[in-house]
Amino acid sequence: MLAVLGRRNVAVIGLALVGAALALLMLRLGPGPSSAKAASHREAPLISNDPAADITDFFMFRSTEPGQGDKVELIMDVIPGEEPSAGPNYYNFDPSVAYRFHVDNNKDGTADDVEFEVRFTNEIRGVVNDAGLPLSYVALPPITSLDGQGLGLRQHYTVTMIKNGRRTELGPVTEKIAVPSNVGPRTMPDYDGLAAQGMYTLGGGVRVFAGQRDDPFFIDLGAAFDTLNLRSPGTDMLSGFNVNTIALEVPASLLTKDAKAPDATSQPKLGAYASTSRPHVTIRGLEGRHSYFRGGDTSRGQFVQIQRLANPLVNELIIGTKDKDFWNSLDPDQESLFLDYYRNPRLGLALFLVFGAPVPPTPRTDLENALLKYSPTDRGYSELLRLDVSSAPGASWPNGRKPMDDVTDTAIHVVGGPAYAGAGDGVGANDKVLPSTFPFEAPPWDGRNRVHQNP
Amino acid sequence: MGRPQPGAPEPVTRRRLLGFATVAAIAATVAMLGGALRPSAGDDAVAAAPVPGGETLPTGDTAALVAALQSRLRSSGANADGYVLLGLAYQQRARETGDPTYYPRSGRALRQALLLRPQDAVALGGLGSLALSRHRFREALTLGRQALALAPSNARSLGVVGDALLELGRYDDAFHTFDSMAGLKPSVASYARVSYARELLGRPAAAVAAMRLALDAAADQPEATAWAHVQLGKLYWSAGKLASAAREFRAALAAFPGYAYAFDGLAQVYAARGRLAAAVALESQAVDAIPLPQFVSQLGDLYRAQGRAAAGARQDALIGVIQRLLAANGVTTDLETALFDVDHGIGLRHALALARAARAARPSIDGDDVLAWALARNGLCRAASTYSKRALRLGTRDALKLFHRGMIERCLGDRAAGDAFLRRALALNPHFSIRWAPVARKALR
Repeated sequence: MLAVLGRRNVAVIGLALVGAALALLMLRLGPGPSSAKAASHREAPLISNDPAADITDFFMFRSTEPGQGDKVELIMDVIPGEEPSAGPNYYNFDPSVAYRFHVDNNKDGTADDVEFEVRFTNEIRGVVNDAGLPLSYVALPPITSLDGQGLGLRQHYTVTMIKNGRRTELGPVTEKIAVPSNVGPRTMPDYDGLAAQGMYTLGGGVRVFAGQRDDPFFIDLGAAFDTLNLRSPGTDMLSGFNVNTIALEVPASLLTKDAKAPDATSQPKLGAYASTSRPHVTIRGLEGRHSYFRGGDTSRGQFVQIQRLANPLVNELIIGTKDKDFWNSLDPDQESLFLDYYRNPRLGLALFLVFGAPVPPTPRTDLENALLKYSPTDRGYSELLRLDVSSAPGASWPNGRKPMDDVTDTAIHVVGGPAYAGAGDGVGANDKVLPSTFPFEAPPWDGRNRVHQNP
Repeated sequence: MGRPQPGAPEPVTRRRLLGFATVAAIAATVAMLGGALRPSAGDDAVAAAPVPGGETLPTGDTAALVAALQSRLRSSGANADGYVLLGLAYQQRARETGDPTYYPRSGRALRQALLLRPQDAVALGGLGSLALSRHRFREALTLGRQALALAPSNARSLGVVGDALLELGRYDDAFHTFDSMAGLKPSVASYARVSYARELLGRPAAAVAAMRLALDAAADQPEATAWAHVQLGKLYWSAGKLASAAREFRAALAAFPGYAYAFDGLAQVYAARGRLAAAVALESQAVDAIPLPQFVSQLGDLYRAQGRAAAGARQDALIGVIQRLLAANGVTTDLETALFDVDHGIGLRHALALARAARAARPSIDGDDVLAWALARNGLCRAASTYSKRALRLGTRDALKLFHRGMIERCLGDRAAGDAFLRRALALNPHFSIRWAPVARKALR
């Protein structure tokens, strides 16, 4: 493979690889253990990661579970690169983050027709609290239920639907508890059983799950780091890492404009994105965290969107660095501000430089049509993940997106055009088999026995 | 087997491309990054990356990253991307080790990048943060604004500009900038700045609230978590809440063992409780980790409080060495040096000249306060009063500044007003300074 590329080209992109390796590692793996000993005293950090609000993937698809074809799945994964053994605190959702799904059902590009907001609260409890242990979870006795005494930290959550300006907590309002990180077999002897307790059936055919899962994304970066020592099949570099998942299954009729099922609706096209937001504070404002979290108003104005994700790799590969803060803070229907990134995508340029094969000429109206419009005749631009709910279950990105879709390859095909139709990174599937039932992502690797290798 | 020239169309077979998509994606990413890191990664990205599958990446620690970048630059020639990364990596090394010799190296790398790509916002922002680290705030402001002009909605550049404005005493502009930053991107970085501004405005409870949001946003990042805990500890300390302060400093050490700033904070708590031996041990750990002048100075004061004058003097001598080292690497420490000399009665006339120069370069409330104190200790209490009032103009609840004001009022003959300030200082924090709190108490007797 090296011979194919030529030594000179290896040298030219070698440096790029180091930087890109850093960048992509950060995108997918998060900060990990920092080697930094200290920041300066008054010097507040200028830049930081925010894994609890960092959405790694967003999925929307018609359920592939038998008998559930009238349901649509909305799934977001957060906290990149969870190392399964990272005790004692492991990984949690952030009570100060608003996790949201936004759906456009009338093709106007503004995804405010149906929205769902998931919020968490922490409860410190049980033997861990009584004994003052510096641990989140302990096998005193082994944790087999979400009421277990060893669960020192429990995260409760609510799911609120916002439709026509009305907020409705999806009920019946039962106690919903996020499934904790998979610590290991002594502490949690039947993790799958524990996780099953964390799948809640709400009223109206809604199901929800919040908790840890195996990271379903797959890509081979390790081979590239080893001076382009590429291979077939490739190795999933995200093997053995977990994410935190919020999976929401709702009847399609809850989403469609005419409130009809997938095969009956006259407006089957939906657009959606996932977002994370944190409270907006001002220096002279009166805000404290209590006004937000003790039954306070959580209307949009008091939160600032930190990240949005619709189509995969847009944030990473399309939007330029200097505009990312701004891009993330805006709603997707403002995408006309960023059109140049779509019309002259640097991914296309890079493909051309590396492989020498032609990509479609710029400006690339094909990309903007695929990512920003329902149909080429649309006047507005909105970067949404689009799903035609009347398509048979099993459709792949860019018609919705399922965890098993190979988006790395697809992105290369889309951006590269016909000449790249056979290209791919040699990794075609996740390290764990992805379930075809709710919540559609595999159980997480456990902290004691985790491995990072090919299946 | 030769690779076709760019532009020579040829069908791309699966075999040729197998695996290459990844490379393309990466190469594209770096192109997209404008030569450096994604905005939400930045310095931390340089510092940290887990090692999947046991494969060794050059990102496991910053020292290795620096070495890898240097070697790449040697082997593949001048490259703006490489120099930007190297420049930022050097700054991270300086933060990790306290070794100021990384500053000039960072500056050289970033300027090299700008020679190759003059309008690079990340390189300009990097030079801006470098100037902040060197306490060259006017330079930082200029650089930050240049970066902002190239990327108007970039939280990092807003941070550089706001920090510089703050240290230049332009508080309204600084607060406006921080509000913009927090409105654009809530994060550890922006919440921490809102918290600091609220603290300056004399709203400690609101400052704590914002710092708690910063702490939430720092989850899963050990160093940032420890940093936020230490800031909370200092907020509690400033209000005399020793137990809460100690709890935060310990939480910082739990999140990030060996964190020098947490040792320093805990040392002050122990000293306040009269446990000087423990305080010396803790402060020594801070000094051993990072020999910052303020740690060394505090250790000297602790030794003196123990009656170990010789040990204290050795620390004082060490400070001189550290400050010369900092100055040799472009770090301005005039204000800190002036305060140290004034506090320790070293060359008071020279210290006053230094304080005047420092205040001119850094007309913040800290600049005003140090100049006021230097004037007072030189017997120029009328002039001192003017600056001391300026130092308190934001309403900051800072016991040391209140103490200075009280001593200056007494020097001017207004004992009642002076004592009122001394009482306010002691009411805020009875242990605000191991050197001066006893003086305040004695004055009130």
